[in-house]
Parts: sequence; C-alpha cells; structure tokens
Amino acid sequence: MNKRLIVKSILWAFASVGLVVAWARFSMGLGATTALTDDTPWGLWIAFDVMGGVALAAGGFVIAAAVYIFHLEKYSPILRPAVLTAFLGYTAVVIGLLFDLGLPWRIWHATIFWQHHSVLFEVAWCVMLYLTVLALEFAPVALEHPYLQWPILQRIHKLLKWLTVPLVITGIMLSTLHQSSLGSLFLIMPYRLHALWYTPIIPALFFVSAVGLGLMMVTLEAFASSWLFHHKIKTDLLAGLAKAASIVLYIYLAIRFVDLAVHSKLGYLFEGSWQSALFLFEISISALIPAVLLSFSKIRHRLDALFACSLMVVFGMVLNRLNVGIIAIEKSPGNVYFPTWMEISISLAIVSGAALVYIFCAENFRLFTDEKEEKKSIEKRQFEQPVFDAPSKVWLGDSLVQNISVFSIIVVSVISITAAMLPSKAISGYERDPVPVRKAVGWETIKIDGNRTGEFVLFNHKEHEQRLEKIHGEREGCLACHHASIPQDGPTGCYECHSDMHLSSNIFDHEFHQKALQGNQSCTQCHAEGQSKSRESSIACTECHQSMFQKIDTGKADYYIARSYMNAMHDLCIPCHQEQSQILGDENIPKCAFCHVHPPQTNEDRMQKKNVDAFPFSIQNGEN
Amino acid sequence: MPDLYELARGPLFRLSFLIMALGLLRLFLLSLFGIVQMVRRARDKNNSYGKILLTTASWMLPVHRLHRHIPLISFSSFLFHAGVIVVPLFLLDHIYLWQASIGIAWPGISRSVADVLTLLTLITGTLLLGFRIFSRSIRQNSGFVDYFLLIVLLLIFATGYIASRPYNPIPYQTVMLIHLLSAEVFLVLTPFTKIAHCILFPLIRLTSELAWKFPPDAGRNVTIQVHGEVKSI
Amino acid sequence: MKGILTDITKCVGCGKCVDGCTAANDLPPGSVKQYQTRDGLSGERFTSVLHVDKNGQNRFVRKQCRHCLEPACASACIVGALHTTETGAVVYEEGKCIGCRYCMMACPFGIPRYEWAEAIPYVRKCSLCYERIKQGGAPACVEACPEKATIFGERDELLAIAKDRIDKHPDQYIGKVFGEKEIGGTSVMYISDIPLDFLAWKPDLGDNPLPQYTWAALNKVPGVALGMAAAMTGIYWIIERRMKLQEEQEESNA
Repeated sequence: MNKRLIVKSILWAFASVGLVVAWARFSMGLGATTALTDDTPWGLWIAFDVMGGVALAAGGFVIAAAVYIFHLEKYSPILRPAVLTAFLGYTAVVIGLLFDLGLPWRIWHATIFWQHHSVLFEVAWCVMLYLTVLALEFAPVALEHPYLQWPILQRIHKLLKWLTVPLVITGIMLSTLHQSSLGSLFLIMPYRLHALWYTPIIPALFFVSAVGLGLMMVTLEAFASSWLFHHKIKTDLLAGLAKAASIVLYIYLAIRFVDLAVHSKLGYLFEGSWQSALFLFEISISALIPAVLLSFSKIRHRLDALFACSLMVVFGMVLNRLNVGIIAIEKSPGNVYFPTWMEISISLAIVSGAALVYIFCAENFRLFTDEKEEKKSIEKRQFEQPVFDAPSKVWLGDSLVQNISVFSIIVVSVISITAAMLPSKAISGYERDPVPVRKAVGWETIKIDGNRTGEFVLFNHKEHEQRLEKIHGEREGCLACHHASIPQDGPTGCYECHSDMHLSSNIFDHEFHQKALQGNQSCTQCHAEGQSKSRESSIACTECHQSMFQKIDTGKADYYIARSYMNAMHDLCIPCHQEQSQILGDENIPKCAFCHVHPPQTNEDRMQKKNVDAFPFSIQNGEN
Repeated sequence: MPDLYELARGPLFRLSFLIMALGLLRLFLLSLFGIVQMVRRARDKNNSYGKILLTTASWMLPVHRLHRHIPLISFSSFLFHAGVIVVPLFLLDHIYLWQASIGIAWPGISRSVADVLTLLTLITGTLLLGFRIFSRSIRQNSGFVDYFLLIVLLLIFATGYIASRPYNPIPYQTVMLIHLLSAEVFLVLTPFTKIAHCILFPLIRLTSELAWKFPPDAGRNVTIQVHGEVKSI
Repeated sequence: MKGILTDITKCVGCGKCVDGCTAANDLPPGSVKQYQTRDGLSGERFTSVLHVDKNGQNRFVRKQCRHCLEPACASACIVGALHTTETGAVVYEEGKCIGCRYCMMACPFGIPRYEWAEAIPYVRKCSLCYERIKQGGAPACVEACPEKATIFGERDELLAIAKDRIDKHPDQYIGKVFGEKEIGGTSVMYISDIPLDFLAWKPDLGDNPLPQYTWAALNKVPGVALGMAAAMTGIYWIIERRMKLQEEQEESNA
C-alpha cells in the first residue's frame, strides 16, 4: 500500500508539472514552449506521444486477437489489462496530438474536410474509430462495477458482450491499417528521411514492429502490475508471449535486412557515419539481441532475462520511432532539435495521467481475472477496515483524507515550482532579443514623436551623449537615460533633466539674440510683458525672420522602426540617377547594375570609379 | 544584485504567490471536506448555523470584545489587520504591477491613504510585538513562529514604506529586494502557519462547534473497538 | 497555368522582390530573426534572396515556393487546406488548417513556414499572388524586379523563353531548366549558371511526383482492410468449429 502511495505521488507530481506547462503552451503558443522550428516542425510530441504511443498500445489488439480469434484461452488473464492499456494509450495519443496541433480545437476537421490522398487523413479516421472500438471493448469491465447496475446499462453490457468478436475483428483491422500507415506518413519524404530508414515498405516494418513491441509491452506491464499489486507472475504465460515476440522480431529483422539488400543500401550500414551507428544500435537493442535471447527456452523462463529483454525492445522500438520522426530527418546544417524540458514534461505528464487512471481502474474494477488470486484477496480483505460507508456516505478512517492531503500538497508545490521555472517567453509570449546598451552609431539627430501625433521634435543625440559622457563617464553617461535595458522601462523623458526648458539651445541661441538686440532692453521684443518668460509667452521666430524661415514641411515621423541603411542610401541615390538618366538620355543610369558591379570592388575602387565614370556630370562642373 | 532582484520579482514571486494561493485553496477544500464528513457522521444534526455565522461575523468587529481583553490590544489588532489586508491588495503600485503582468486591474487607494495605513500598521504591529514580548500571559502562549511572522510582516511594511519615498538613504534596489524577499517568505509560510486563518476564519467557528460535539476520530475509534472485538472472538 | 522564371545570371541581389512581397502581403517590416532557419524565409517572409559565392563572384538566388504541379504539401494535407488552383498556384486556406504541419515535413524544398510565435498559428507561404493574378496582375515580386531577372507568364511560354536563352548562350547557362521536370515539374522555374541543389533538402530530386510514393501504399488500404477482416473472421470460424467438434467428440467418447 505504501509503495503504491509513493508511486501515485510521483505520478501526481509529473501530472502537475504538465498542468502548468499546458497552460503556457495553450496560451503562448508552440514557439514559446517547444524547441520546434521551421526546420524541425515535428518533435517529441509527434514522434514519442503519437508514433511511440500508438506502437506501445499495440498490445491491445494483439492479445485480443490471441484470445478471441485464435482461442488461446491461456492469455485471457492479461486480456483486460492489455485492452485497458491500449485504450489509455490511444487516449494519451489523442491528448498528445492536441498539444502538438497548432489549432487543436479543429481536430474534428478531418471528419468533414475529406482529403483521401493524405495518409494522415487515414490515420486520423483509424485512430478515431479504434479509440471507439477500444472504449466499447473495455466498457463491459467498467459495467461490472456494483455502482453501475442500472437496467439500461446492463442491457448495453449484454449487447457489448454479444458484439465482442465483431468488435475485436474491427479492432484488428483498424490497428493493421493505422499501425502501418504511421509508417506511410514518411513515404512522401524520400529526400528528408535518411536512406537507412526510408523504404517503400516502411508501412510493413511499422506494423510488424508494432506487433513485436505490443507483446513485449504487455510483458513489461505484467511486471509492473505484479510489483504494484503484489500479483504472482505467471512465468509460462510470459514465456509464451516472449516466444511469439521472438518470432515476430525475427520476421522484422528479415524484412528490414532483405529490404536494405534489395535497395542496395547495405553499404550505408558500415559507412561509419553517426546515422549508421545509430541504426546498428537501434536494430540490435530493438530486435537483434532480444530475438536471439528469447529464442532459447531457458532464457525465456527466467524472469530477470524476460524483464531485460522486454525493456530493451520497448526502448529500442521507441527509439526507432524517434529516429524516423526526428533524428534521421534531414535538417539544415547546424540546426539540431532537442526538446525543451517543457516538451518532455508534457509527454511525461500524459503518461503519468494514463498510469494514474490505470491504477484507479485496477483498484476499482475487476481488471485481473485470475480466480485464485481474487479468492485470496477477498479473504485478505475480510478483516480489513472498510473505507467507505455507503448508507451514510461517510469515508471511514484516515487513509483517504491522508491520501488526498498528500497528493494535494504535492500538486500545489509542484505547480508552484514549475510556474516559477517557466522561462519568460513562456509567460509573456514572444519577445525580441534584449538589446544591450551601446553607443548610438550614426544617429546624430533623432526624431522623437512621443505622442504619435505625427509631429516630432528633433533630439540631438550626439550632443547629449558627448555632454553626459563628460559629466558622468562613458557608460554612466548612457545610463543617465537608458537604464541598462531594464524590462518595461523606456528612456528618461526630456523633462526629467530639463525641468526648466527656457535655456538656449542650438536651435535658438538666446545669448546671441540678447546681445544683438541691445541686452536687457530688448526682452519685451520677444517676451510678453508682465508674464513669466516661458515659451508660451514668447513670439515665434518667424515673426522676425520671415525670410529666413521658409515654409518647412515638417513631415510625419517615420515608422518607429528605423529605415535600413540600404533603403536610405537607395532613396538618396535613385531619384538623382533617374533625373540624370532623363537628362543624359542613358537608360542604364538608374539600373541596379549601374552601381552594383560584378565583382564587387573595394570602397576606394568604387569611389574612384564614381569620380571617373559614373559621375561625368559631377556637381563640381557646376553645369548640372 | 540586479540578477537577484530579477529573480526575486519574477520566478520567486510566482513560486511564493502560487504556493500561497493554491495552498490556501487546498486547505479550505480539505477543511470543507472534513466538515461535511463530520456533519454526515453526526447523529445529532441540530446545529445552530445561524448562531455560528453570527459569532463568526462578530469576531471581525473590534468593539465586540473590547470589554473582555485589554482594549488597546483589541483595537490595535483591528487596525493592524485592516492595514495588512488593505495596503497590499489596494496599493496603486501593486495594482500597476498586476496590470502590467496579467492585465487585470482594480480600483486602488490613494497614495496618502496608503501611507497613513502603512504607518498605522507599523505602529500597531510594533505595539503587538511589544505585548508579545512584555506581557507575561501572551508570552506564554507565543512560539517562535509568532514572533518571526510578526517581524517579517513589519519588515515588509517598513521596506515598502521606505521604497515608496522619493528620497531614501538606502539604495532603492536593496530596499526593494528586502521588501520582495520578506514578502515572499511570508507568502510561502501563509498556508502552513496560523496566517491561514485569513481564508479559514469562516470555518473556524463551525469546525470547533461541530468538533466539540463530535470528535473527528470518533468513527475510527468505534471501528477499532469493533475490530478488536472481532479479533478477540 | 501561370509560372515564374528566374534567371540567376540577371539577378543583382537588390532585394526589391522581397520588399515588394512584404508590402503586397502586409508582412511586418524589419527582419525577425527568431524561429527563422538558414534561408531567410519565415512566417513573415515568403521570399528571400540567397547569396552564393561562385569562385569569388556573387550570385543571388531567390527562394520562394515552387508551386509544384503535383505538390507534396497538398497531397499530405489532412484537410485539403493546401490545394492547387487553376492558375497553377498552390494556395492555403486558413479556415481548414488544423496545424499538424505535415506539409512542412512533406515539402522537398522546405518552403511552408509556421507562425511559431503566435498562440493561434497558421502555415505561411508564397501564394504566387493568387488574388492579384486572378485580377490580371503579376506577382508583386516580379513587378518589383528592376532587372527583369524574374518574369511572370504562362508556364509553357516561360519554358520556351528559358530554352531559347539557353540555346542562344549555351556558355552562360547550365543546360537545364530547373523545375521543368523535377518531382513532376514546378511552376516556379530557374535558369542558372550555378547548380541550384541547395534549394531542396537533397540534390537530384527525381522526376517522380512525390504524391505517387504515398499513393502506392494508400491505394492498398481497402484491400488490406478487407483482407485482414476476412482472414480474422475465417480463422475465428475455423478454430471455433474445430473446438466444437472436439467437444462433441469428447462428449460422445464420454
């Protein structure tokens, strides 16, 4: 009991990490939470959750086929767990898919927009139907529960039992289709998937490997549930599964190597690249070693060997799906996909959630149908303290409250820690890279249009920079206004330093005017009498200097992203070039190639050339 | 130092705030669950809920028990609670921070009101601390946590007050860092210490009333008794 | 069927096509570097100019959607959000997309891009200015080109122009129209004096349209389904019958 409590606590912890990451993923998008890029649009969620998940859940249809179609009654004790695992596995696949889809609320679109040339379309339908079939296959187990003995449910129960064999046959058919079609997904990428994995018969490989993996997964599950629920492991039953798995894995190996030989790709195996090493590693642990080991009856009947082999196959086959889905896919050089911890945590959370539901079903439904064991546990339970008193609806004892308080404290603390660990882009969404403070280059004067009215003031940045540097030193000078890029903080406003703005500026030299207009006698020439001498109380410059100030089109402040150097230069050059082309009658002058010459020249060359050829109409001649 | 400041105002704040919010929610739900169980288990279901509600409400009034205790304690306790609840929730600077981060804002109190309340909280808090230290009867009922929490709370308010002054002798970031860290410690401790009464107070009277009638372990004790008898047979 | 022909030898790399495309498609100005891969295309750029060094000489290659005649992306799309049109353009319907990104995996040129930064993301790629062409215009990039290095017209005519240029100046070009036959032909074609292998994931794309590879497996689906169902029913029936006979025999024996 204590062991199960620990396992459940760990599962709850993983699930709550996923809860927080799920919030970030759905509110901030894929870019903020995953390592996916345009180069690697499919990542862990497709390769592990979907492709791996479907393959791991293959045990359901394999065992159902063995028990119902081939009448191998020996395996019926593991039928229910296998079907439940398959059902939970497929549910997990769908949930994983919801995380991966960019627009998950449109997952039903495949039911109305038909595109029968797409493999994915077929996979979607098969998975949808098979999930339904699995639910119906498992429903009788749930309907056995004493709380669900309503007449209507019992009629459904009877109907479902009667339908078992047709359901199983449908399930096998659908499984065959989509297990193989998950491989067919990659048929369209002969140029992206590495040659060692790409083959026209990849659907067959996926199907056969799924059968082998399904058998070994059921074995592994038997180990897990015997450990959790203290069942006795039936060695001969598992040995039977292992024998079948060994045969299937041999078939898989044969297909794979014959295919490589036929397409004369055997050379790739020993070319020494990381792909060939990966392939050899994958094939040995997923099939070669377990198949050989399990073909010996002595090894098959040893539990530790069985456990190791099943672990190897499960790991190896999942690696195979990861290879096909991510690792062996061509990417642009230097671009490596490695999932973020958030992607990994979602995968873990989905698996943990499924495991929790599995444990719940194991505790509340008749999942393990071994009569001897059941008798034993009933005998044991006779003297146990009851947990729930149905008539008064009261939970007895402390165990439930204790469990809830343990799980909830885990959930609360893990959620908080995860939320604290989320990277800032997963909380506030897309952000531009922070720009370090450095000296403004080439910006002598900046147009500032703080209120976005289109009217701007000219701000002499260079002058401020020099002055502040003198006063405060080089770095601190910048920091007087720019504050070291503290988030959500703009530069200091002008008024914060210029609290009295009547000082003379480089635009208006007050002192000069004062002198020219005979000192203090002249104040009233510009400033209204009897009022404080502010900008408002002064006359405008144009009233005296009518000739000096022609009407200036102040223009609108440009878009707040500065124009690129190229555009700015082009706009400086091109109008004049066009003009000159008209004047000189040479249509080549405004063309790009007139200035951009092959091969490019150094700046000195270009300047010389411009002086000599490109500007025969140089302004120095004074004629144009 | 700026890194530590960023850490304190980002991840650490999220951590402590969520622990506080979710922890209190968990505590509340667990208590509610316990109460429902208690009521169901009881044979005597005549509980005067109205009276319990009334006493719960009357506990929130300062005047109610003035005559019973030292009036100064009652009164400063009331002022202290008012400040502790109102200032963090309705300070405009805090509301701006919420608006900037999650986009939710609510009406706040003006700066001067906040200043007055902060000072009142500081004064009454110091008074309460004084009582804890110097009054023998209160000291006997106080543990380490009681002093610790009160000091942390005073620290939060003091640093907050200093930080909000335009001219202060200590660098702004240092004050803010202490403010943030102490507030975070306080938030983390909330669901695990007596501060949980901020959310449990509507249930406290109810729990004690019901528990007085029916000890929560009564059912289990009966089962143990019966179990023992079964065994002995 | 319309198309675009880009003559690499004429391109000077001024980038006006990118500006034209950006303006015509209402894409944000400036460059957004995040989530962008090697080639300058992104959810906010549908065309880009790649720089190639040819023995110290500059060559500029414009990358954009090739608008395959038998597009892999459209065949992969689960809901048919990507599809070919009468103008030859491969266009994208936002309303259908579920965001599976199979198109991005399927495209041999790696063209479709995703709006990774958005919470409601869509696939983005060049649409050969479908709306403009329907109204009789030319794609924005072609209109913007000052050197007539990239031209627009009927695909057949463009092919003829391309072959004509190659015939006239065989020394200036590689004797092949890129996009004439590869993977069934593309509407956006190139003639060039440098190999353009880098535009696809692998050099030497075959002439087979990619959807054929899928269809070879997909058309077997009904057969496999029926065959599997029949086989399973048959096995079930035979074993069931044999077991019944056995039981009867045992009973009669007893």
